[in-house]
Amino acid sequence: MKVTYNWLKDFVEIKIAPAALAEKLTMAGLEVTALEERGGDFIFEIEVTANRPDYLSVIGIAREVAAITGRKLKIVTTSPRHHVTSKALIIEIEDKKDCPLYTAKIINGVKVGPSPEWLSKRLELVGCRSVNNIVDITNYILFTYGEPLHAFDLDKLVSPLAGYPVIPLEIIVRRARQGEKIITIDGIERLLDENILVIASGLNRRTGEQANRRTDMPIALAGIMGGQDTEVSAVTKNILLEAAIFNPVTIRRGRQKLGLQSESSYRFERGIDAASVTSASAAAAEMMQELAGGICVAQEASGLQKPVKKSLRLDISGVSQTLGVNIPAAKIKSILNSLDFKVKAAAKNTFSVEVPARRSDVNLEIDLVEEIARIYAYGSIPETLPAAPLQAARNGERELVAFIKEALVGLGLNEVITYSLIAESWLNDAAFASAAEPIAILNPLSKEQEILRPALLPSLLRCVAYNLNQKQNYINIFEIAKIFSRANGQVNEELTLGIALCGAKPLLLRGGLVREEASFLHLKGILEILFERLGTRDYQFKADGAAQIGVFAGQQRVGSLRQPQKPALEKFEIKNKDVFLLEISLEKFFSAVNLQKRLVPLAVYPAISRDISLVLQEGIPAEDVLGAIKAQGGPLLREVKIIDYYKGKQIPSGHKSLTVSCVYRSDERTLTETEVNPLQAAVVDALTQKFNAQIR
Amino acid sequence: MPNIDIDAVKAQIDAEIEKINSAPALEDFRIKYLGRKGIVAQLTASIPNLIPHERQAFGQKVNTLKNRIASLVEEKQKTLVEPERQAGAGGVDMGMPGIAQDLGRLHPLTQVIDEICAIFMRMGFSIVEGPEIETEHNNFTGLNIPLEHPSRDVFDTFYLKLASERVSQLTGSTGKLANRQTGKLLLRSHTSPVQIRVMQSRKPPLAVVVPGRVYRPDAVDASHSFMFHQIEGFMVDKNIAFSDLKGVLTILAKAVFGKEIKMRFRPHFFPFTEPSAEVDISCIICKGKGCSVCGRKGWLEILGSGMIHPNVFKNVGYGPKKYTGFAFGMGVERIAMLKYGINDIRLFFENDMRFLKQF
Repeated sequence: MKVTYNWLKDFVEIKIAPAALAEKLTMAGLEVTALEERGGDFIFEIEVTANRPDYLSVIGIAREVAAITGRKLKIVTTSPRHHVTSKALIIEIEDKKDCPLYTAKIINGVKVGPSPEWLSKRLELVGCRSVNNIVDITNYILFTYGEPLHAFDLDKLVSPLAGYPVIPLEIIVRRARQGEKIITIDGIERLLDENILVIASGLNRRTGEQANRRTDMPIALAGIMGGQDTEVSAVTKNILLEAAIFNPVTIRRGRQKLGLQSESSYRFERGIDAASVTSASAAAAEMMQELAGGICVAQEASGLQKPVKKSLRLDISGVSQTLGVNIPAAKIKSILNSLDFKVKAAAKNTFSVEVPARRSDVNLEIDLVEEIARIYAYGSIPETLPAAPLQAARNGERELVAFIKEALVGLGLNEVITYSLIAESWLNDAAFASAAEPIAILNPLSKEQEILRPALLPSLLRCVAYNLNQKQNYINIFEIAKIFSRANGQVNEELTLGIALCGAKPLLLRGGLVREEASFLHLKGILEILFERLGTRDYQFKADGAAQIGVFAGQQRVGSLRQPQKPALEKFEIKNKDVFLLEISLEKFFSAVNLQKRLVPLAVYPAISRDISLVLQEGIPAEDVLGAIKAQGGPLLREVKIIDYYKGKQIPSGHKSLTVSCVYRSDERTLTETEVNPLQAAVVDALTQKFNAQIR
Repeated sequence: MPNIDIDAVKAQIDAEIEKINSAPALEDFRIKYLGRKGIVAQLTASIPNLIPHERQAFGQKVNTLKNRIASLVEEKQKTLVEPERQAGAGGVDMGMPGIAQDLGRLHPLTQVIDEICAIFMRMGFSIVEGPEIETEHNNFTGLNIPLEHPSRDVFDTFYLKLASERVSQLTGSTGKLANRQTGKLLLRSHTSPVQIRVMQSRKPPLAVVVPGRVYRPDAVDASHSFMFHQIEGFMVDKNIAFSDLKGVLTILAKAVFGKEIKMRFRPHFFPFTEPSAEVDISCIICKGKGCSVCGRKGWLEILGSGMIHPNVFKNVGYGPKKYTGFAFGMGVERIAMLKYGINDIRLFFENDMRFLKQF
């Protein structure tokens, strides 16, 4: 909403500079988002909140200026000189809910021409193009009073049957019929339906209606925009001036349906003060007489009602309690008075407050408290701290997630945050198949917001591709976010961990640079550390086909490791690179978490450690080798682990070398070599026999 | 008689120790004289072969020699250790890269969320998260936002495409029925629905913060994103006042942006609070003088807040006369952009490693 300094001054005396006024308005809740000096005036751009339609006019803002600067509003009087009630106009409202009030005037003998300079300039300062004196007057009144008006060229309100204007003229406010059309003043043909309220003109049914014939036609989209056929032009002589109130929801639905917003619809949607309809219409008629020589010869109104008085009770001490500052009753009264509220003492400690009709936002006691706080100034309310009882409520899931994130960051992974909405095609592209149905978005703005993602992996692949494009050689990322699915009439959100590794991690060691290519074993290593930190002992990795490995915690499958194949990677524009992905349902996994730590006593007696280096056929799984060692080693063999491996020139092709460390220990005594040596020899024998292993 | 001349030994040790200038050489020296088969051991071993009256004198001599050598070794050790260490440090080129594994980084938005949540937890707030799929009731009507009213316009919302006959049977992740009363399912357009969830399931006193993802169908540009993050907070008890809201939010803003910032609370309108306030801090870039970041105003808007509307209490079954409370909400991206000097919201979701590594 734009207003100018001089325009405001028409209605209230202002003694402070524009910048100071802007500051005062902002701190009273009318935020001035821009202040510009132009053409000897100052333009205030003001953000008017949705609850204050009464601010959508110069007079409305002038009222606020008067309240916050301690002045009185200059009383605006209109004296319509031609008070004619005539039978020339019949207004028919199909449904009073859609149009609680419709008034119209007939103004004869206007001379259409350019507006005087002061008028066109003022309109242009608030961003409204000057058209001609008549249209400019309706706009000027719209901005001044906040009541949208519309001027029709009376002589173009032709009855379809008669083919010429008919008196008495019938104006009908009704819903459009399916398939009706109108060309609006912006030159666009609009197809209408019964969601849209129109103004129609037609034959007086009492004079010439024939059965089953259309007797009227739309001349305007009610409250939104007028029709081109009936707009005021240079040759217009006589005018029908409309001033009405339309149902906010009806206008809102109509403009949403049409995708057509205007200064009028903006105000009707927020609600119009009935009192301004009459005064705006009268003021416009007066201006038309002054600036265009038109005489008001007829007027008619339908739906005019006396405003209902709205009165609220205000608990005086409650004001101070809610705000946390003691405001005396007299101060409360003077603040409310300055805003045109009438205050009476109702009972002990209670005011009865009469609310001005235009204040549709004030309906509860608390609304009065806000008005008081606003004018008293928020800045004058002290800062206190609530006396809240201490609590140590914990959020276990969030703490676990934070714990996991920290562990992953410690392992060098970088957290990413990607969109929860994706294109459905990404699932196919990533060769992601899921039993659960993805959830589609009804109103996406683009294809890339089609569905709620049922997996993190496609988003992570996109993220890898993006970084490869930025010439990053090593990408190690994770995300913890919800994934979504529907199944059995149920929508599900599942907190999920995704990891992606791609490229070679450069490790600068004492011996020089080592490039460490990402692999499934890196994902395994990350998970092992994570599981260890989270006290999950019972977990397993099980191959699920060539490119996928299932991750199990206890008996439950909690996720998988994947290596997308070349065609899938190419869909994401990842070329000549391998990507290793992991996705784990944290919701499933959390049940296997055990954060309770118990000390395992440190060993009292020293251990004896023996390393074996074996050369084995490549196909023999490490797990089998470790299993065989454990089976043979007996109770004194406490720990078996692979501490080195090798593939290469030093050993025959098709073979691998493993170095396994075996740790023997007793809790009762110090073991001797003579005890351990035969045990280890038996282990070596078993390996040679079972796997045909060579000892290096 | 021993075939080692003890006096000759005595004479040569001084010369020998003088030449020693490294730890290994000193160790060789020590072994040569004091080792298990060293010269002192040999001399000691020869004592029984002596005639009795010579034994005592010789023994004393050997002992003196042993002590002397031990103290020489000890002294030499002191002189050797220090220069060696210096030589070692001097020998390393500290211009070479250090050797360590890099840590990963938490996303800057996570860091900001964690920081803000930690501030509130220190004030006794607990953290609650809610589902991202919500009902119309929790997202709008329960919060006193009518479905067909201009006050809803700022909350453009993504709806879910679900067959209408199935909607009536659908349950959200908290098991709340989505039916005629609760309306269609949507992606929450703010974190405020969690107010409804918490208040429906718990009784005051409540002090809760809610971080999370929210969604609005906005075309993506440097300052808009269809997905972003909010932190919601609210406190409900008997006798919570507007001044408490000011106190708590002042602590927050000063903790996040520094003690020296100024604050102002401006009246505003939110359907779910009354009175409502927008909170500005003095511009952290220009210190309030006016710059391009604050649009020459000297102030930056960081928060929306207010006293919880009595209709919201009514909708969750609280007696509005019994309890009062405040609520506030902030955009995490906005705070992070101000804090880190980020001028394009898209950077948060592109996840460029060069971006992530900076935080």
